Formats: sequence, structure tokens, C-alpha cells
Amino acid sequence: MATAQENPLLEGLQLRRMPDPCILVIFGASGDLTKRKLFPALYSLAYRRLLPDNFSVVGIARTEETDDEFRQRMKEAVQQFGRDEFRDDVWESLADGVRYLAADFSDSKGLDRLVDVVNELDDERKTGGNRLYYLAIPPSAFETVVEAMGKRRKAEGWRRLIVEKPFGHDLESARHLNSVIEHHFEEREVFRIDHYLGKETVQNMLALRFANGIFEPIWNRQFVDHVQITVAESIGIESRASYYEQAGAIRDIFQNHMLQLLAITAMEPPIDFTADSVRNEKVKVLRAIHTPGPKSVVRGQYGRGYIEGEEVAGYREEEGVDPQSMTETYVAAKLYVDNWRWADTPFYVRMGKRLPRRETTIAIEFKRAPHPPFEELAAEGLQPNVLLVHVQPDEGVSLAIGAKVPGQGLTIRTVHMDFLYGGAFRTGLPEAYERLILDAMLGDATLFTRIDEVEEQWSLVDAIVAAWVRDRPAFPNYPAGTWGPPSADELLRRDGRSWRTH
Amino acid sequence: MADTLTSIRDIERELTSLRAEPGAETPFQRTSVMTHMAWVPPEWVEAAEDVLSGLAERHPSRTVVLLPQPEEDDGLDGYVEVDAYPVGEGRSICTETIRIRLKGKRASAPASVVQPLLLPDLPTFLRWRGLPPFGAPEFEGLIDVVDRLIVDSTEWPDLPESYRGLAQIFDRVVVSDIAWARTSRWRPMLASLWPDIAGVQRIRVTGTAAQAHLLAGWLRSRLKHTVELEHDPADRLHGVDIDGEPAPFPPGDPPSGADVLSEELDTFARDRIYEDAVRGTLQ
Repeated sequence: MATAQENPLLEGLQLRRMPDPCILVIFGASGDLTKRKLFPALYSLAYRRLLPDNFSVVGIARTEETDDEFRQRMKEAVQQFGRDEFRDDVWESLADGVRYLAADFSDSKGLDRLVDVVNELDDERKTGGNRLYYLAIPPSAFETVVEAMGKRRKAEGWRRLIVEKPFGHDLESARHLNSVIEHHFEEREVFRIDHYLGKETVQNMLALRFANGIFEPIWNRQFVDHVQITVAESIGIESRASYYEQAGAIRDIFQNHMLQLLAITAMEPPIDFTADSVRNEKVKVLRAIHTPGPKSVVRGQYGRGYIEGEEVAGYREEEGVDPQSMTETYVAAKLYVDNWRWADTPFYVRMGKRLPRRETTIAIEFKRAPHPPFEELAAEGLQPNVLLVHVQPDEGVSLAIGAKVPGQGLTIRTVHMDFLYGGAFRTGLPEAYERLILDAMLGDATLFTRIDEVEEQWSLVDAIVAAWVRDRPAFPNYPAGTWGPPSADELLRRDGRSWRTH
Repeated sequence: MADTLTSIRDIERELTSLRAEPGAETPFQRTSVMTHMAWVPPEWVEAAEDVLSGLAERHPSRTVVLLPQPEEDDGLDGYVEVDAYPVGEGRSICTETIRIRLKGKRASAPASVVQPLLLPDLPTFLRWRGLPPFGAPEFEGLIDVVDRLIVDSTEWPDLPESYRGLAQIFDRVVVSDIAWARTSRWRPMLASLWPDIAGVQRIRVTGTAAQAHLLAGWLRSRLKHTVELEHDPADRLHGVDIDGEPAPFPPGDPPSGADVLSEELDTFARDRIYEDAVRGTLQ
């Protein structure tokens, strides 16, 4: 398109960047992710006219299904899980370009058939050879697919690869996986998803820090006493035993979501919001994280307990789980970011399953006021100010401040000043996958993890796990529906602190 | 609706008391993004209420509706409403709507009535229904206290002559025109006809008079040459002919009234292209 200099009519028009026409190829299309997240996200994008013309989807999985059956199932999924009202015309426009292929993508015949289907669709819908491959498959199947798609590269158009977590299971496997990818795809063509980065509230952390003059000057060791990051789930492992037994909380949450939340909280201001500037700053934080000693990491596994009044099974009783399993469903750690800004400021992080509620929060606890001139306070002292970022649910930010209780004397009570996302912006927050799929189509990798970040994350996990081999904690060590094992409380109590309780 | 309130102090007191939900320990939370003011002469009341009802929930704000009634005896009648919308678990946020009847002389100095009611540090938008009385004290006073004036020139008589007064105030207040916003699907489409459209001599617009004049003004001001306008009246923008050739129809559905206003409320910067187009209508 001509620029505004050449074409004066373009001046002042707010033109949305529209992705090129392309085909999204979903490997593992019969899985839950496609049904619960990808198709509802695609529908929402179509609903807002954000998809390019002729946008097409090819789903591939082993399950026998016809195009029509697949479309029907996806239609129902959109109706069930979508966030927008269901409109037939929007769905039809999307479904028009949807194909399904029942094939085994671990054998080359199946992949040849896929290439034929995709090429045919490309000719039919004029998508110019642009392909977005979405790997929603177990890592064991990555290699074959990546290699096959790499070898069958078309001369025209762009190709991009979206990789779901887990990216490897340790540093070595991640590097191996990457060497396979690197052989066929350039780094700028690879989009490693950490869907937490697609969440509005996580991005709002960047806005909060770098669009407001008041926070950044106090966002450092001088004013911050410590940081607490919580990723709590009340659900158990659902039907993912075979994956979870191998992964545990450390690979499932800590390696990716938790470390990304920490990196965004601790990073230096990037010079701009381009993919490399942001990721350069994040990787510096990850590199600066000091490997915690064994005493600074706590593992837990849930036993029987109660969630929402209902008795639930212990981890070892879940279907598909080894009755003697030593897999952790809870991790708490004290981490230090060894740099000028954060030296000696602890970052306490905790994550786990079957905790009392679903909550992801980042709490910045500031140092207390140095000297309270109010006598009434002598007994309990002043409470510190806490800036609390609610990532989910109840997305928003609140600041705990001390205020005078009306009446005689000077009694101080902590009150919350709340900013609720849903309160100020009533448009409904987009799902993380909408943003991420669209960014990948546009080739913008800002909200995806780069290989050096992944490697730093794994080195830290490897170091922690190496120390675990030597001892066998007495699992289970916390009942479902509680905030983790007592040793996690002890971890903070030793430092004269405690976990936030609400 | 609550009792009639006759002073700003009464209105403020009523707002505070309504924010505490009856029987609840914690007051409603107020998250505001702006003060939204509307000047609604009697003939516009019905239309204005329709749009407002869709708006409050999307833009949590304090809405001050000014209902001028200059023929009545001097006085001020205020009505306050607080609506709560649930957000998250067990929490509600509230939006406030203040309706004030400005009777008699009170209708000529509305700025002094609304100033105590503006939310501090947040932008103030003024939606003026109908053609503003450019130069009249009630209008001049109000545009000096607001950040943005929103009009819909579709509501105006005598186009394009009525644009003359508007063009005079661009340096004093940022102006949004809903009629202009309603051409927003067409402008990118017309721009895509470049370079063929560069030498256009004559356009024929089937739509409202405001849309026709603004599109012609836009082409004149951007292309920097005269463009003749032929206007075929219709209640919405149906078609544009470029030198006798119909331009392709832009994709998508036209947005609803509340949608258009809602989008204008998210915009803060001065729209120079619109200002040029308004001046262009008078060429």
C-alpha cells in the first residue's frame, strides 16, 4: 500500500495492521487446546474482523473425522467456550476455510497428504504460500513434524512455527529440540508460547511500571522489602497424569509462567516495545537469578482434603499416578535477582495445585514507614504498603495504604485502593490466545519466549531439580485445600515475613 | 428516581449517600474514566436517553445531563441516580448519572453549575445535541471547561453553512463529529482507490447531508483541488460515485449509535484531518 506521503487520503486514517492471508495448520487438532482455546480465539478474531481475507485452517490429528464433523465439533466448542455471542454468518465465514485431515503425523505418508491438502487449499483460497504451523502435540512428536515441514518448505510466502509448552523437559532436551528447529526454521520464525504473556494483566504490568512516573523510582531494593508471586490453582491434575507425573509443578509452572512473571516484574525498562528490546531485558533478569540453595526451595504434594466443601482425592490416588509418586504438586522458593536494582531483595514465589483458590498475583511489598508517630500503633506497628497486581481472577491493581479510622485518637487501618480492570474498561478482556495467534500472524514475537530465555529458565530448573535427587520428602505433605506444606511458611518465617493470606 | 434536589451541595450529598449500598458494609467502588456531559434541549431528550443507557456501562463515568428550560422560572432541579454493575465476585462498581434541569436564567451559565461536579484529573467530554449556538454564552462557557466537544452534524440544519461556526472553535476545544465517524468505513476504501481517485472532479454521495459534505470536504482538503458534490439524501451512507463510477462498498456493518459515541470517547487527540475536512466543506 502507498504511504501517506504518496497518497494524501491515507493521512490520519487509523489502519489496523492486517495479517497476510495465510493457512493455520494445527497439529494435534483433536485435543482440548484446539477446542477450548484455539477455535474460540479464532472465532473472536473473526468476530472483530481481525483475521485476514481467505484465512484458512487445516486441523490434523489421528482421530477419524470428516471435514464436516470437525467443523461441527468446533462450532459447538465455540458456542460453549467462546466469549462473544455466536453469529452464524461469522462462523460460516471462518468455517468456509476449515479442513480436517485424519492422519498420523509421525509417518511421512500422513505428512505428504497434509502437504497436498495445504497446497490445494492454498491454490483454492489464494493464501500465497503463507503458513502458520501450530504444534499442539507432545514434544516426542515435535521432531518428525518440524523436520517434515522444514523439508517441504514452499518457495513463496512466509512460514512460522508456534510451539506450545513444554519446550523440552530440561536444558539438554530444550537445546536438542531447538537444534532440530534451528535446522529448518530461523529464530524469527519460531514463536514459543507462554500464554501468560498474552494476558492483558501481565502486559498491564509493563504499562503500570513504564507508563507511570510514580512507581519506577521506588521499584528497587531501597524501597521494596520483598516481592511475592503466587500462581495458585484449586484444580487437581484433571486427566493429565501422564504429563504431570513427568513434569511436576516445577516444569509445569515454575519453568515458564512463574519465571516470566518474575522477569516482567524485575526487568529494566526496555528502550522500546519491540520483540528484541523487551526480550533482551527479560533474559538479563533470568540470567541474574541466583540459583537457590536447597533450603530456599520447598516441595509439596497434596493429600486428601476439601475443595469448595467437597472431599477430593490425594495426588497419589489420582488416576494414572504412581501410588508412591514423588512428583511435586507444589513449589515455593526464595529467589534473588543479583543485579544493581534488586540485590538482597527476596522474591518469594509459590505455585501449586489443589490450593484453596485459583489466584495469580504479584505483590510488591514496600518497606514500612520508618517511625510511626502515632502512639496507638505501638502494639502492632504500621502495616507495609503493598502494591498488588491481580493477574487472575478479578484482574486489576490494588494498593494497600494506612488510613485513619474516623473518630477520636489516631487509629490506623489498612485499606485497599482498587483499580479493577473490568470496572474501568467494560469491553471484556481478550483471551490470551487471541492476542498471541494474531501477533504470530503479524510476525510480532514480543510476547513469545526467545530461545535464550528458555535456556536460562531450564538451567535454573535443572539446578534446583539436581538438589532434589538426594532426598525424599515425606509426601503427601499438605492436604488439598490448604496453602501448601508447613515448610513453605517456615521459609518466610525464618526471614521474619509471612505469605500473604488473601 | 430520588427527590428533586435544588442545589449542587444537595446533589453532592445525595451522590455520597447513594454510593453506600443500602444494608451493605462497603460502599460501591467507583472506577471512573471521565466526566461525560450532555447538553440536551427538550426536543432531543428521547434520543439522548437511548444512547446514554448503552453508554454508562461501557464507560464508567460520571454523566451530567443538562436539560435547559429557559422559559421556566429561574431555578435548578437535580436528580441523581447511581447504577451498580457487578464486576468479579461479590463486587460492584457504580456509575453516576446526574440530571439537572436548568430553568430560566440558570440555563445561560451552565459552566458554573457543572464545574463543581467534574471529576478531578479525568477528561471531560461534552456531547451537544443539535446545532450549538456558536457565540452564545451558555455554549462558550461550557466549551472552556471541557476537553472535548462531541457533536453530530447530521442533526444540523443548513449544511454546509453551519460548519462555519464550528471551524472557528477548533483552536479552543477538540471536536469530534459523529457524522464524520460514520464515514470511517468509507474513507479507507476511497483511499484504496489511489491513484485513480487523485484527479476526481465530481462525487455523488447517497447518504446524510453531513456525510456528503464532509466526504467532499475531505477530498478537497487532502487532494488540494475542487471537487464538486452532488448529494442524494438518504438516512445513512449507501454509496459514493467517483466521476460517475460507483465506488465499491466497504466491508462490515455500520456501527450502532452507542458504538460510535463510545469510540469517540476513547479518543483524545485533535483530529486535524477532520478539521481540514470541515473547512473543505465551505470551499
